[in-house]
Amino acid sequence: MSDQILIHGLQYGIYILEAGVCVLLAARGGWRHLKGLFLYVTLLFGLDGVARPAVLNYFGRTSVQYAYFYWLTDVVLALGAFLVICSFFQRACAREEKLWRFVRLLLFLVFVLVGAISALSLTRNYTQLFTSFIIEFSQNLYFTCLVLNTLLYVMIQQLAIDDDELGLLVCGIGVQFAGEAAALALYHVTLGENFARLLFNFLNPACTLGMLLIWVYAIGKTPQAAPARSRAGEDAALAEAIAD
Amino acid sequence: MFMAALILILSTGLFFFYMQAVCQKVLRRQFAQEYFQAIVNANRLEFPSVRKALEDFGVPVEYPRLMLTLKCDFLALTYLLKNAANVNQRYSYEERLLILYFKLVFVSLITRHWLRLRETSAALKLTAILEYFANVVGERVNTVRFGNLTASEYLLNL
Repeated sequence: MSDQILIHGLQYGIYILEAGVCVLLAARGGWRHLKGLFLYVTLLFGLDGVARPAVLNYFGRTSVQYAYFYWLTDVVLALGAFLVICSFFQRACAREEKLWRFVRLLLFLVFVLVGAISALSLTRNYTQLFTSFIIEFSQNLYFTCLVLNTLLYVMIQQLAIDDDELGLLVCGIGVQFAGEAAALALYHVTLGENFARLLFNFLNPACTLGMLLIWVYAIGKTPQAAPARSRAGEDAALAEAIAD
Repeated sequence: MFMAALILILSTGLFFFYMQAVCQKVLRRQFAQEYFQAIVNANRLEFPSVRKALEDFGVPVEYPRLMLTLKCDFLALTYLLKNAANVNQRYSYEERLLILYFKLVFVSLITRHWLRLRETSAALKLTAILEYFANVVGERVNTVRFGNLTASEYLLNL
């Protein structure tokens, strides 16, 4: 009983923070340079905070309609998360046009690869589009997001990009995906033991809450919209100034 | 099962890595001036001398003394964070996070000592957290007026 109250408390905290991040981005004008993030958080609030509870109330937790709706929206949110990470890559490569072109191609190939690997599960049984493909695709995409996010963090460190806001946003998304992946893996390792199930139910909302809190801090406390600047970019700017 | 165990280890490691990165980003916050010096002087805190010893000589002075110094400074600064010029009389979220981070790094310092590994980096991290706390307290005190008293005079009278 008490664990249910805690999980519900976390869930309502998430809804409030999702709305809070949207409002904060709109009020501080941050949505202009964080369009991808703004759209993702709006989508998250719309689907997770409004649409899912509405469908749940209308059809009930055990209904097929809710199950379909839940997994479909999960795929949409996984795609949204992937696009947010792409937008973070774009911001990190703001001063490196050639690098961005290469990264863009790489991201596209990764996406195609994830789709192809997930489609392999469909070949085993064509009739189970939802149980085989949709669930596998969204889980693969979430794990890919975690790997890509880690690569992005390493890239930010390697290029010495002085953008604390971007760094915190990347850390926020990393906390969410790493926590979720760990909870899911623990669930599989313990073969769905009671405590693992409880931990899984608790960790998922806790990690989402953590991500949103880090984002609120990143948007609210870091200095306004300093353009991403790398050491290479600074050298180029210096060379231009000397040439002038 | 093997893949799940591998993912569990990797993702748990990544989770703590990202949490540490968040703490480091919070600690990078730039203050308008070095507020911590006034707080250090007023409360006779010792962490700047510990840091100087670590940076200059590369080895901790004396392990028991180092631990006691860091612990006492931590207790003094967390008390000030909560009570000095703090209208709400409670920690903010980032302060809570950094307090937890301090405790974890402190445990890692003890473990490193037992395992005879290098303790310098962990001790430097702890002094960085303490400096941040002192800066926050100093900034708060600086924004509040206490009649004709200066920040350090106010703190001495606490």
